[in-house]
Amino acid sequence: MNTTSLPKRVFILCCGKGKHQLLRTSLFCIFLSLLAGTLLLLILGKNPLEAYKSILQGAGILAKPRYAGRKSQLTDFMSLLNYTTPMIFAALSVAVALKCGIFNICVSGIMVFSGFMATVLFGYSSLNPLLAKILVVFSGILFGALIGVLIGYLKHRFNMNEVVVAIMLNYIISYVVSFFIQTRYIDPITRQSVAVSQNARLTLFNHPVGNLNMEIPLVFPLALIAVFVIKFVLDKTRFGFELKAVGSNNKASKYAGINVGRAVVFTMIISGALAGLAGVSYYLGSNASIQPRVLPSLGFDAIAVALLGNSSAIGSFFASLLVMIFDCGTTYMSSRLQVLREIAALITSILLLFSAIGIFFRTLADRMQREIEEV
Amino acid sequence: MENLVEFRNITKRFPGIVANDDISLSVKKGEILAILGENGAGKSTLMSMLFGMYTPDEGDIYIRGKKESITSPLVANALNIGMVHQHFMLVENQTITENIIMGIEQTKRRFGLFPVVDLEQAHTKVQQLSKLYQLEVNPRDLIEEVPVSTRQRVEILKMLYRDAEILIFDEPTAVLTPQEIESLLKIIKNLRESGKTIILITHKLDEIKKIADRCAILCKGKLVDVLKVADTSVQHMSALMVGRDVSFTVKKQEHTYTERVLLVENISVVSQDNITLVDAVSFAVHKGEVLAIAGVSGNGQVEIADAIAGLIPIKEGRILLEETDITNLSVRKRIEAGIGYIPEDRHSVGLILDFSLKENLCLKQYYEEPYSNKRGILQEQAMVELGKTLIEAFDIRTSKGNDTLVRSMSGGNQQKAIIAREIHLNSKLIMFVQPTRGLDVGAIESIHKRINTLRNEGKAILLVSLELDEVMQLADTILVMYNGKVQTIKKAKDLTKLEVGEYMMGVHVEHN
Repeated sequence: MNTTSLPKRVFILCCGKGKHQLLRTSLFCIFLSLLAGTLLLLILGKNPLEAYKSILQGAGILAKPRYAGRKSQLTDFMSLLNYTTPMIFAALSVAVALKCGIFNICVSGIMVFSGFMATVLFGYSSLNPLLAKILVVFSGILFGALIGVLIGYLKHRFNMNEVVVAIMLNYIISYVVSFFIQTRYIDPITRQSVAVSQNARLTLFNHPVGNLNMEIPLVFPLALIAVFVIKFVLDKTRFGFELKAVGSNNKASKYAGINVGRAVVFTMIISGALAGLAGVSYYLGSNASIQPRVLPSLGFDAIAVALLGNSSAIGSFFASLLVMIFDCGTTYMSSRLQVLREIAALITSILLLFSAIGIFFRTLADRMQREIEEV
Repeated sequence: MENLVEFRNITKRFPGIVANDDISLSVKKGEILAILGENGAGKSTLMSMLFGMYTPDEGDIYIRGKKESITSPLVANALNIGMVHQHFMLVENQTITENIIMGIEQTKRRFGLFPVVDLEQAHTKVQQLSKLYQLEVNPRDLIEEVPVSTRQRVEILKMLYRDAEILIFDEPTAVLTPQEIESLLKIIKNLRESGKTIILITHKLDEIKKIADRCAILCKGKLVDVLKVADTSVQHMSALMVGRDVSFTVKKQEHTYTERVLLVENISVVSQDNITLVDAVSFAVHKGEVLAIAGVSGNGQVEIADAIAGLIPIKEGRILLEETDITNLSVRKRIEAGIGYIPEDRHSVGLILDFSLKENLCLKQYYEEPYSNKRGILQEQAMVELGKTLIEAFDIRTSKGNDTLVRSMSGGNQQKAIIAREIHLNSKLIMFVQPTRGLDVGAIESIHKRINTLRNEGKAILLVSLELDEVMQLADTILVMYNGKVQTIKKAKDLTKLEVGEYMMGVHVEHN
């Protein structure tokens, strides 16, 4: 029994069976990525503690030593929330689909599509601000859900693999949208689509509050609500029960009388609508224009984020927040410690990498545990 | 005869359970030793230690008189020990030879340079082995194209190719049809005659009686007795195995049938490749009647049950439940109309293994009141109560009650959970497909009693079984299928076991 090495036992303690195994594994992944980041920083000759501190400062979690005029820790924090909002929607979108056994990698494509449609329909109009914003949100939900339905229907009706469909749709959407942007909506200076009007934007930019100018993400509360609604749907409702049943055993669900096709299609409507919300809060929120032929990496990062959050709603929320703290904070870190921005971004990537392999750690720990029990 | 394998005071513990308790057992060279025991008696654990998948907590294993520590299957292989697992480990889209030589391929150099696998030589060797032991396989066939019995032979060949002398069979007949079982038993005998030593894990007493020399009986982790099979009765063995006498016949009351529950009229089912699986089958099941569909596996019996449950579409014909035509109803509508179904495959159809026990017990009712309210919100409390009631009523044994993951439960208890759920639906018709497959004698007995009780309560029962004894014991009416067609339907009392067997093999044909 005592032959097992200490590191092995610590590892099992972290990722092995027992209470909160999922949470412990996620925390272990985060710890590992911090460790890897530390190593990286040490190799570069930087003080890792200082670096992590400045990441937190950059993200508005800790106070910076100095602030520019009309800026403070609060404005940094609001900016963090602004960038986190689309990530929460995107991670939820992936998580909901995963629960139903569907791997939705079309989040990026859906984001571009819904963002573009909302931009074209309402972004350039002169509607009054409130109406415009509401319409933008609803068009995000609608166009996102449309793509979702398409994927769900193809999967259900023709048994087409959703991953293949999603990859194709990503390309189709990206190129078709680029075509229209290039031919009709291009801003000759930025080489992006013409910026949307302030009326339609879901983030109030440089909004004066007291003596501060801050970004106010108007849909952040909506993201919070979405987290709780999804949690409720998954845990407490009839539909959530069906969704999870189909996700864990298709055949048994059919045998139990669950309409599998309906569950798949409805799940994809929800997943698509969430991705659509991510799209509008990204392209008409934290950004104001669309870069042609670029799929937002956020849509793909969301997969790792959802996995880090164990495809649960609450987990996705905290994982989004964490990843975006890194994402937002690294800019400040790179300027303060004279680390290349690319290197700083690498730390975020390491976190995403480690979050995606949590399942592997869990299986490995389970196996080691079995071996130990057998010795 | 010398002792080839000796277990000396083997103890193996798992958390919360002693799987093997101080077991000393020897295996003689050239014998067939059967290891008999209920599910969870510790027979698989004991053999897994011989094959190197577990190592004992206490005690030693001696092979050919020498103490060995078998730490992995590779070590076991080196000691000429081979095991045929219950679930085959084969690559579907490779040939038989490729599967056999995998891991120990011999290579030759093409043009004296490029190493390639020497398939020709391997084919020849496999061919020779297959002839020598009368296994009759074509080494060039793809695994996906050969039947289950051939796949099993491939597994046997795999061991022989690796020069195994001690062959462990883990419930080898569980997946086979009656004729296939016969031929497997013959193969096992052949292997013994050519000098191999065979250990057979099983809980089928008649097989032991047929081929084994000695029988070691395990009960709750302890070795109860080692018996000479020739001098022991089946009843005695089973009594030792379960620790009590098992009644082999269920008492039946006579019935006259008045009300028809299910009427199947000329239904046909075709596969995706348009092969006819069920060909114009008609029958009726009445209140208080057990209609058993007998037949060799794969003759359309399971498809009939699936078609009645609505899981697969029918091409022609119609299905009536009482007076309602259910031919075009959805699965759920049929469940509501009164069809309960215990499917053949517990793991991938009957249960959601990653759901808790209470969720599985509620799997067909979660959507209606009181388990969900009108707005589609689940009512946890109602589910918990249902779970508690059923766990108690059906004696489902679990570690954490309602919240146990079904995956962690034993096969017998999983089956109990399914049966509990289906009976609780209070259906008019209950279909049992292979309800006792892979279960131990105690569980089989309780399921048989359960079926008989339901019959006496006036349920209509459709039983699909490959076990002829089960059919003979439970059925009021027997329908025999062959090649998707009905061979005969007769009152059980008008048929003998032998006759049913002949119908199953397609010897007798009768049009009615």
